[in-house]
This record gives sequence, structure tokens and C-alpha cells, in this order.
Amino acid sequence: MPMTRGDHIFVGALVAAALLVWPLVASAGSAGDTALVTGPEGVSSVSLRADSAFVVQGRIGEVDVLVENGTVSVEEASCPDQVCVHTGAVSAPGAAVACVPNGVIITIEGDGIEYDARIR
Amino acid sequence: MVLSTTLASAEDGRATRALASSRPVATGAVLLALACALGLLEASLPPLPVTPWLRFGFSNIAVVVALALGGASMAAVVGIGRVVLVSLATGAIFTPVFAMAATGAAFSVTTMWVVSRVPGLSPVGWSSAGSAAHVIGQFLAAALLLGSPGVVVLAPPSVALAVVFGAIVGSLARSIISRVQNEWTRERGRGETTPR
Repeated sequence: MPMTRGDHIFVGALVAAALLVWPLVASAGSAGDTALVTGPEGVSSVSLRADSAFVVQGRIGEVDVLVENGTVSVEEASCPDQVCVHTGAVSAPGAAVACVPNGVIITIEGDGIEYDARIR
Repeated sequence: MVLSTTLASAEDGRATRALASSRPVATGAVLLALACALGLLEASLPPLPVTPWLRFGFSNIAVVVALALGGASMAAVVGIGRVVLVSLATGAIFTPVFAMAATGAAFSVTTMWVVSRVPGLSPVGWSSAGSAAHVIGQFLAAALLLGSPGVVVLAPPSVALAVVFGAIVGSLARSIISRVQNEWTRERGRGETTPR
């Protein structure tokens, strides 16, 4: 079913407006700025303001952590089910990436409290 | 809803009026049921990979169809009614989740109604605008509930994606709308005044 010409213009304008507003909102928002990495060998704090990559020694192997554009993700982990890798990148305060078999938990620190809910 | 049936004969008048008044009720009920079913179906699917907080919003197909066939009141019944019924069914009613869903639905229905009065836009345009408004409403509700504007950071990319999802939903709705309208036109052409 084809769109009308009006639809094309309208949809394009909406997408453009959303993308134009993005940088404005992104700088105003308060994403978490440090991540707390808890592993079997202790706890360390990592800044999210600078990109970095490091390896955390876990119980059964290594966990490769990537900090990029203010988000944290687990690139690679020596666990069987890879839940941490599939969690993807997190940046909101309170959000976490956990590799349970390795005993490694990465939590974003920040003031905001986040509900984690699904809307039906 | 315009159901000005050309009368074949005078004695059909009563049946025609009964049909004309029962059709919006039946149509609205079917669309509300469809909206609930699509909403529950989509809720049971796994979340999207990159943006797990976003969904296609297939239940909006029913709301767009309701807006086209039954106007703003039917769209409101289907759009808001769906949230209430699904929240009742899932036990989420009067929780923060319900507040966010209801705000999104109210924003969406209102916006689609306004946009549907703009000439030159098809249900694809209505649905895109409604989808964007739904996301904006939800983010505003979330920011209010959290007491912190932090989540709003996610809003612009979400809105951009939602507009695209909305266009897909709108084109699906459009094909349903034209089928139903064709069917109704054929019925009128045959002079049918009672439901088969």
C-alpha cells in the first residue's frame, strides 16, 4: 500500500525533527558517569566519560569489558550462555550487566532511580 | 460514522436503522478485541535486539482502523480500552507501568485524531504521528514517575524509530481500512439492509 506524498513529507519531517532534537536532549540529560565493576578479585570504579577496554578476571575465565560513548558492554566472556554479551550496552543509572558464572557484575552509578518495567 | 444507506423500500427502514446503529458498536468491539489480542501477542514476543524498550505497536493497527471507520470516539474506546483491559488481564492495572501505557495511549489517540484532520495525510501519516506521540507520552510519564529527566535522553532516537514503526503499522491498517470500506460499499450497492 503506497504512502501519499503528504505522508512522505510528514514522516520525513518527524524523523528529522527527532534526530535534530537528539543532541540537545543528550547533553541535557544525566546519564550515569561511572561504572562499578564487581568481580571475584575485588571492586573497581571505571569512568564512562573516556572510552576504554579492559579485562576482568572472573571465576571461570576472562570477561572483556568495553566502555564506549558513555555506555558499558561486555564484548566477550568465558561463560556458556553469554547473557552478559547479549545484554548489550547499558548507560542508565542503576542498569547492570552481569556475568553470573564468572561472578562479575557491572553496575552504572548515578542519582537517578530507574524502574525496569515492560509496558503492555 | 456515515452509514446513510440508500433504502430499497420504506419497510426496510427499521432494519436499516437498527443495522446502522449496531454496526459501530460491533465494529468497535471487534477492533477492541483485535487491539487486545495484538497487544498481548506482541508482549509475548522477545524484545527488539537494540532497543528492547521499543515495540512495533501492532495493536495500533486496530486504533488506526477505528479512527478511519468510526472517528475519534471509536479510536478513543479502542486505544484507551485496550490499555485498561490488557492491564486488567496482566495484573498491571494502576501500577506505574499502567500509568505510562495509559499516558502513551492518550497522547497517541489525541495526536492521531488531530493529524487525521490534516488533508493530504493517509493513515500512514496518522499512525507515524501517533507512534511518536505514544513514545513521547511514555517518556514524559517515566520522567515524572522517576522524578528525574534522565530517561528523556533515550527519547529522540526512540521517537525516530517509532515514526518508522508507525508508518509500517499505518500501511497495514490502511490495507484493512480499504478492504472494510470496499465491503461496506458493496453491501450498500447490493441494497443489503440486514446482516448476513
